Amino acid sequence: MRTDRLLVVVAVVAGVALIAIGIVYWAEPARSLPGFFPGQQAGSNHHHVKHGIAAFLLGIACLVFAWFRSGPKRAAAT
Amino acid sequence: MIFTALITYPQAIVLGLLQGVSELFPISSLGHSVILPSLLGWDIHQNDKYFITFLIATHLATALVLLGFFWSDWVRIVKGIGRSLRDRGIDPADADAKLGWLLVVGTIPAGILGLALEHKLRSVFASPQSAAIFLTLNGLLLYGAELLRRRAPQTADDDDVRIARQVSWRDATLIGAAQAIALIPGFSRSGATMGGGLLVGLSHKDAARFAFLLATPIIGAAAALKLPELFGSEGNGVRGPALVGALCSALTAYLAVRFLMRFFETRTLMPFAIYCFCAGLATTVYFAVT
Repeated sequence: MRTDRLLVVVAVVAGVALIAIGIVYWAEPARSLPGFFPGQQAGSNHHHVKHGIAAFLLGIACLVFAWFRSGPKRAAAT
Repeated sequence: MIFTALITYPQAIVLGLLQGVSELFPISSLGHSVILPSLLGWDIHQNDKYFITFLIATHLATALVLLGFFWSDWVRIVKGIGRSLRDRGIDPADADAKLGWLLVVGTIPAGILGLALEHKLRSVFASPQSAAIFLTLNGLLLYGAELLRRRAPQTADDDDVRIARQVSWRDATLIGAAQAIALIPGFSRSGATMGGGLLVGLSHKDAARFAFLLATPIIGAAAALKLPELFGSEGNGVRGPALVGALCSALTAYLAVRFLMRFFETRTLMPFAIYCFCAGLATTVYFAVT
């Protein structure tokens, strides 16, 4: 039970973080991305739209996983 | 000033007709769209921006045809996903919900691999020579899938019930990820997914159905993602041929999916394996000696 709850918390945190990362990729050009982001490139005006889509979709997947995982017990068994 | 069309209308018709068939037949549309122009001596290369723009239109047409062909199935599947989200769980008896989530699970790895690898693979394997070699290997892949396929007992249930029962989450992830192999010109997306379906015990008909359902969101999303290029400056000079190509592609895609859904009720991947092997080998030799 505790593991389940921990998984849900981790999935929600990861989901929100990934969606935020996706938005940063869409909003900021490559030169303005934080240094630890893949695709960061000094002086580049390119927007990494695809990176943003991938991060956003993974974030949604994490949130859906958390939604199912935190549902009634019957759902967890499926 | 001499004006040369980037893609002429006859070329657009031929490439559009070819795209619709080869996208759904397990014979690699990308491989054929690289090899055929080279065989016919056309000055069209798969990494040319205008050609990519042209392919976006034909892919979008194919995805729309697939969506239309399986429209009633998609309505049931989306409703099933909605029910499972509402209930916060997938009812084991709800085949539409299970199938819907299997398609989501299969699409995620394909999408991520596609986003990450598309440009690199397209650049590295752009030549007709490599496409011909990979077409030969695609033939061997299809043959291998036939050879190794699991013959699970088939029941008289509804198609979707059988698929939902037979395919596990892990299977869906692997089959979905296998679609990424189609980023290499010469390998077929539908071949990889049908082959994957056969390996996990689906019948040919169910494997084809699952492959077409799985292909719809990924082909549609890939085309939609690049749609701005078609309507932007990169589409200049190619929009007319692209529209004609898309219409031709839609026609042959419709005929192809109708044909294949009947074909796989009784037949196997073997004719396509033989075709890919022979055509790949012949074009490999041709490109080597010319």
